[in-house]
Amino acid sequence: MSSTISLNEDQRDALQELMNISMGQAANSLAHLIETKIGISIPKISAVTPSELFSLINRSENAYYTRQSFLGDIQGEVMAVVSESGLTEVASLLEYEAPLSKSDVEETILELSNILAGACLAGLSNQLELATNLNMPTLFSPNKASFVELNWQHSLVMEVQFDIELSSFSMRVVFCLDRTSLIKLTDTIDELLG
Amino acid sequence: MAVPLLVADDSRLSRRSVIKALPPELEFSVTEAANGREAIELLENTSFKLLLLDLTMPEVDGVGVLEYLSGKSDRPDVIVISADFQPEKQRIVMELGAKKFIRKPLDNEELAMTLFELGYL
Repeated sequence: MSSTISLNEDQRDALQELMNISMGQAANSLAHLIETKIGISIPKISAVTPSELFSLINRSENAYYTRQSFLGDIQGEVMAVVSESGLTEVASLLEYEAPLSKSDVEETILELSNILAGACLAGLSNQLELATNLNMPTLFSPNKASFVELNWQHSLVMEVQFDIELSSFSMRVVFCLDRTSLIKLTDTIDELLG
Repeated sequence: MAVPLLVADDSRLSRRSVIKALPPELEFSVTEAANGREAIELLENTSFKLLLLDLTMPEVDGVGVLEYLSGKSDRPDVIVISADFQPEKQRIVMELGAKKFIRKPLDNEELAMTLFELGYL
């Protein structure tokens, strides 16, 4: 049996809308930086077990992975899946010169993660009046064994996708929260819903 | 007389906040649509004076609704209320005939000012 936390329909709807607003702010930050239009998906909200989270993260081929922890009124981790495809074009929009060195590629990935995940988290925190602090992202390779050991035994996954027009680039951002933070988040949403 | 208004947004929270933000001096007869397809079906059968339209919606998005309306002679005033406020997106919706683009989270005063500019207040 899957031991996940369920959200009621109003909570899910509210969280989806809060994420949508946060994503808009994130996409706008990046669009201004690279002067290119960013496509954003409708956010998907789901509660998953660690092994389901692994499958969700690992379903992309030819991708880079980053993770960033955040602390504060709610704590958790933001994971980003960054496509290899189109990364060179995006790096050139960020003014890296081709051919990209290994460190150029890493810097581009970490910068994109920081801008998009950071703006998403900031948007969500601001709207809910929660204080959060995001640490720097690091690259990682998903590994099933390590996912089973994660703190997020009751993960709430908020998954959003950004696509950059004129390139095959895409990026998914997944937020994971621990149980205490999830309760804090749903309580705050309930207050907002009045 | 009440202004026939359609609010199209896939989020109930957002529709609720839009409806709550309507200026109390005006009377509205409000209909809600939860996606662009529902909005188009309602627009086909009912004459609305005003449409408050989200962009990022399932089935048919807000741009699809504006495209549907672009060929119509009897079309409502459209105010787009969206979180996706990139300059390119704003340009597209204004070219498709939207009267105004308002960013989410919605600022009640900005909505009232827009309704004033459009002659509703």
